[in-house]
Amino acid sequence: MVGTGAFISSFEHKSDEVHQVGNKEAQSPKYIPPWTTPYIIGIGGTSGSGKTSVAAKITASINTPWTVLISLDNFYNPLSAEDHELAVQNKFDFDQPDAVDLDLAYECIKSLKEGKKTSIPVYSFNNHNRVPGKTISVYGSSVIVVEGIYALYHAPLLELMDLKIFVDVDLDVCLARRLSRDIVSRGRDLEGCIQQWEQFVKPNAERYVRPTMKNADAIIPSMGSIVVATQTVINHIKSRLQLKSRRHLEELSDLGHVRELEPLSKMTNLCQLEPTSQVVALKTILLDKYTSRDDFVFYFDRIATILVSRALDDISTSFMKRIITPTGQEVTLPSVDFDKVTSISIVRSGDCFMRSLKKTVPSMSIGKVLIQSDSHTGEPQLHCEFLPPHIEDYEQVLLVEAQIISGAAVIMAIQVLLDHGVSLKKMKVIVYLATEIGIRRITDAFNDAIQIYACEVVPTDALGVDHCRWARSRFVDSRYFGCD
Amino acid sequence: MSSEPFQNVILLPQTNQLLGLYTIIRDQNTRRPDFIFYADRIIRLLVEEGLNHLPVTPKIVETSTNQKFDGVSFLGKICGVSIVRAGESMEQGLRECCRSVRIGKIVIQRDEETALPKLFYEKLPEDIADRYVFLLDPMLATGGSAAMAIEVLIKRGVKPERIFFLNLICSQEGIDLFHARFPEVKIVTGAIDSGLDENRYLVPGLGDFGDRYYCI
Repeated sequence: MVGTGAFISSFEHKSDEVHQVGNKEAQSPKYIPPWTTPYIIGIGGTSGSGKTSVAAKITASINTPWTVLISLDNFYNPLSAEDHELAVQNKFDFDQPDAVDLDLAYECIKSLKEGKKTSIPVYSFNNHNRVPGKTISVYGSSVIVVEGIYALYHAPLLELMDLKIFVDVDLDVCLARRLSRDIVSRGRDLEGCIQQWEQFVKPNAERYVRPTMKNADAIIPSMGSIVVATQTVINHIKSRLQLKSRRHLEELSDLGHVRELEPLSKMTNLCQLEPTSQVVALKTILLDKYTSRDDFVFYFDRIATILVSRALDDISTSFMKRIITPTGQEVTLPSVDFDKVTSISIVRSGDCFMRSLKKTVPSMSIGKVLIQSDSHTGEPQLHCEFLPPHIEDYEQVLLVEAQIISGAAVIMAIQVLLDHGVSLKKMKVIVYLATEIGIRRITDAFNDAIQIYACEVVPTDALGVDHCRWARSRFVDSRYFGCD
Repeated sequence: MSSEPFQNVILLPQTNQLLGLYTIIRDQNTRRPDFIFYADRIIRLLVEEGLNHLPVTPKIVETSTNQKFDGVSFLGKICGVSIVRAGESMEQGLRECCRSVRIGKIVIQRDEETALPKLFYEKLPEDIADRYVFLLDPMLATGGSAAMAIEVLIKRGVKPERIFFLNLICSQEGIDLFHARFPEVKIVTGAIDSGLDENRYLVPGLGDFGDRYYCI
């Protein structure tokens, strides 16, 4: 029989420690996600030179969802009423450098290079204006292809680029391509097109566009064999990207090794579930390979509910509330706003927590991030993220994951949240089973400022010997969902 | 909390979250769906806490990677007994942790004339004497009906040290009564209120739990 006093002290509150932990946030995180070091490719060339098809070939051959193609067409300056009238009569010069807001393009690409979520304007060629209220939001790209006639024109923009390509082609060919494109797909008339070419496109191409060829690292002659030249460039890009992903992996594996190790039990940012008899019994059931799926799901939900509830024990009592009880008593009590709690599940294993989250806060909004490891290199890659709107306004953001093995996916997910304005002290990582190295990497990547709630952390010593191999196999979500 | 001398009281850790949950269910303006949801959450915490005090037995299992793991397993042999009507609201919370648990019922009503509790009905598992019993009643005020229920259980052969009385709020007076009459029975609770009003309701309390859970 446990006495009351002993009982309370064994569950001692951690709020003081949480405060200390929060202060460490000022240091910059050590983890550099692939999208803050994106590989930026600029593709310039005269109108109708085939830039677009070169860009399409490159993005198709890289073939990853985190490649984004940005056309400088999106950055055309909005036209005044008079200019719009001129444009309708084909008398406006769209081919001069000033027609494009290259400074804005620079700001956007720079913001992407810093890893931030960035809004790209959408331009309407019918109204000659930016479409109000409509933007394309780009985030998490590690390869960015910028394409446009003036892609290699603006000096600051050139600074941001890792590879600059100029697509060179004879102006006669350009004219032919332009005519077929403008007449067939944009519904313009022949006379207008010719007039525009003679008056604006050709002079600008000669005066401004062709000279940017000197800024290029590679020139693709689109008259000769475009295939060979493009393939050569693609091979080069691929080798650079491999190097980049190798560095990313090395960086991930370096985390957690650098410091003098303090024992797991001394880590102030880690809270392991008290190994009460129920918790140990539940763990036993979940480890037993003869447990039926029915039981596995039931008991996982049960222990997950205990864990989620434990993570919320430290929730701040944001204000004192004056209430009247049904017996007419007026009292002032600490109050918690459960609507300020949201959670993000790392697909698929985090989805095991869906039911326990709903059981804890019924109206909780739940976001998802999909992070997959590359099947060859093992590099974690962000495929997509769906986050609750205004996630930065929540007071608690719970990041849920069934198992942490290398820790890479969680590190990446935390970075995604940071990029969306969630501060580290509002985040809590909730994980059922983790390895010590995974926990150390996450802790190290964010300078001890991230709170982790785990049901069990298997120490590295135990992993070395044979009997804890289960901690390194992803069995929880496979069994919970019944498919590998 | 002034529960220090009472070795028979297991009080849930008074975390910010728990205090927040109690504020919600004490507030007279909390609507029924919220009252039910948040009361259920506290009940779940009480059940989990109660279960933690049951014995377990060592068990070696084989993991999916074909290794042996030294764990423990439940001994089973528990049952719930709810005091009708309010106590029945806690059955769901017990079922969420122990799916096929047996549940007995006891009906005790206050005699209108004497104001003393009177036993109307009992239906308990036959082998209750061999079991650990979770007695369910959300409020422990004077402790009259709960004490009567415990007498029923003891009469059926349940060992007092195997009885856990789960409630959301109890009074000092109720704890004192239990301490004096059934020192071995454990009370698992989340809040200890300061006293009782002239109608014998807990202060500050939360009103009539059964009414708020089932009717209002």
